Amino acid sequence: MMRELKSGFFFFALSLLVIWESLRVELGTSREPGSGFLPFCVGLVLCALSVVLVYRGWGVRKSQKPHSRRVILALASLFVYSLVLDTLGFVMATFFLVGILFHLGQPRQWWLLIGMSAVVTFLAYLVFGILLHVYFPRGFLGI
Amino acid sequence: MGTLVGILPGLGPSATISLLLPMIFNTPAVSSIIMLAGICYGAQYGGSTTSILLNIPGEASSVITCLDGHQMAKQGRAGPALGIAAFGSFIAGTMGIVGLMLFAPTLAKFALRFGPPEFFSLALMSLTLVTYVSRGSLIQSLIMACVGLIMSMVGMDPITSRPRFTFGLSSLLDGFELVYVAMGFFGLSEVLSSLGQALKQEIIDSKIKNLLPTRQDWKDSAKPIARGTVLGFFMGILPGFGQAITTFVSYAIEKKFSKHPEQFGTGRIEGVAGPEAANNAASSGTFIPLLSLGIPVNPSTAILMGALLILGLQPGPLLITNRPDLFWGVVASMYIGNVMLVMLNLPLIGLWVQMLKVPYSLLYVLIVLLCQIGAYSVNNDVNDVLLINIFGLAGYLMKRYEFEGAPLILGLVLGPMLESSLRRALMMSDGSPMIFITRPLSASFLIVAVFFLISPLFTRGRIGKRAVEAGD
Repeated sequence: MMRELKSGFFFFALSLLVIWESLRVELGTSREPGSGFLPFCVGLVLCALSVVLVYRGWGVRKSQKPHSRRVILALASLFVYSLVLDTLGFVMATFFLVGILFHLGQPRQWWLLIGMSAVVTFLAYLVFGILLHVYFPRGFLGI
Repeated sequence: MGTLVGILPGLGPSATISLLLPMIFNTPAVSSIIMLAGICYGAQYGGSTTSILLNIPGEASSVITCLDGHQMAKQGRAGPALGIAAFGSFIAGTMGIVGLMLFAPTLAKFALRFGPPEFFSLALMSLTLVTYVSRGSLIQSLIMACVGLIMSMVGMDPITSRPRFTFGLSSLLDGFELVYVAMGFFGLSEVLSSLGQALKQEIIDSKIKNLLPTRQDWKDSAKPIARGTVLGFFMGILPGFGQAITTFVSYAIEKKFSKHPEQFGTGRIEGVAGPEAANNAASSGTFIPLLSLGIPVNPSTAILMGALLILGLQPGPLLITNRPDLFWGVVASMYIGNVMLVMLNLPLIGLWVQMLKVPYSLLYVLIVLLCQIGAYSVNNDVNDVLLINIFGLAGYLMKRYEFEGAPLILGLVLGPMLESSLRRALMMSDGSPMIFITRPLSASFLIVAVFFLISPLFTRGRIGKRAVEAGD
């Protein structure tokens, strides 16, 4: 499906969700507007705009190139990092994340990769953890 | 410290002032307030550095600098961009201090004339600037602005404290922090988009030209700096508006006045000069209600007010009379601080620019890491790291589908002000929308809003289409 068409449908669905939630939390009255008053109005505007977008995208046949493998792997690494940060601790989790990202940017020899990851992690911990007193999670190893 | 705070994404002036509050117990009152105030206006200098060099806004008020500042860096003109940001900030900050010194009580009384109808109309007028901050499709920009408004309403209702759009998730009760959204949509998404293409050797495609602004740069920037100064100073006085909105307004005005509006977003120096000046002038303006009336207008000045109370000082109209040493001490520190900031930042320009020569395959890792740490450092919460990555993914998809981030940020920033003032105004008028038209200030803002909304329909057919075709 085409860019404008896909995004148009997405925002149309989003607008319906917004309108539904606005009605759930109640619109109130014009004398005493409720929590859903402005979201409802914005939801209606979004609905109209998304319909226009769908209309514009209808019939357009320009295809998109697929997502890059590097982007997918980088995103996956970032999400895994945010999920394991508490368990592994900042030092270990960052070491692995940095290593993966360096490798994705440009494949390097493993010893260079380990060295660079260690240096970057150490510097990040030194600047933020020690100098700026950011309290990083320590993980199950306590580091 | 203010400059450093501005450079580091996530660690804003409010958080830093909070961290340093315990220090004031053992420090004289005037010295304490001077130190904390220095962080407020110092952060405005640092925020533009990462915006220009890395497309990561250090502060919410530096988001708009990303649009043209980073493009200038890519063209080898990071030096002039950083230079004009520093000089423009210095000039605007100095003029703001003069304004503070001469007009503080008078301007504070003017700000008191603003009620909910005026704030709503002003917020609506600011929102219509979405037509000016975007380069692409108007429909897509308006959609992004709507999404920003909706995102601003996630969490607790500001009037009834009822949760909405949280879908049972307690992590959404506080809503979306602007800093995560900005870092994700601008910083992370830029990196991910670059990864999707052949990774560049360096950020810049051409040789670095000049480290300081040229005579032509000064000529192009003079009027934007002047306009930004006046605009930022007066808007900074208004409660709730914040420096971020003044930068959007300034950008839109510069685009409106420019002879080449279609080039905004491709590296026009006016797009850096105006907003940076507005930013710094606004930070001086925010001190006026605080020192004259005891009314804080943003989180930083609210914490400063807390500091005044801790020190046994009573913020209010009599503060200037009873403690002139405090008022003049802050004013004097602003003068000195302004000079020191430009002396500190100018020599560093050469160093910052060298950062652009670092191979991108290394630099992008540092950018990503900076975003992760920046997000974590706001609340020391790992969920915030997940959140910024979600916004990074959303920003990447947004770029891919040719939606711009600036309108979303504008909606996110203006949403709370728009909603609370609309509801309060309708309560005041017993449900009658005529209140927005019968009050002169409010009506004036609405007229300008209509003008902003419809004028691009006449010019966009020539300018926007030309810009989009040129991009194709």
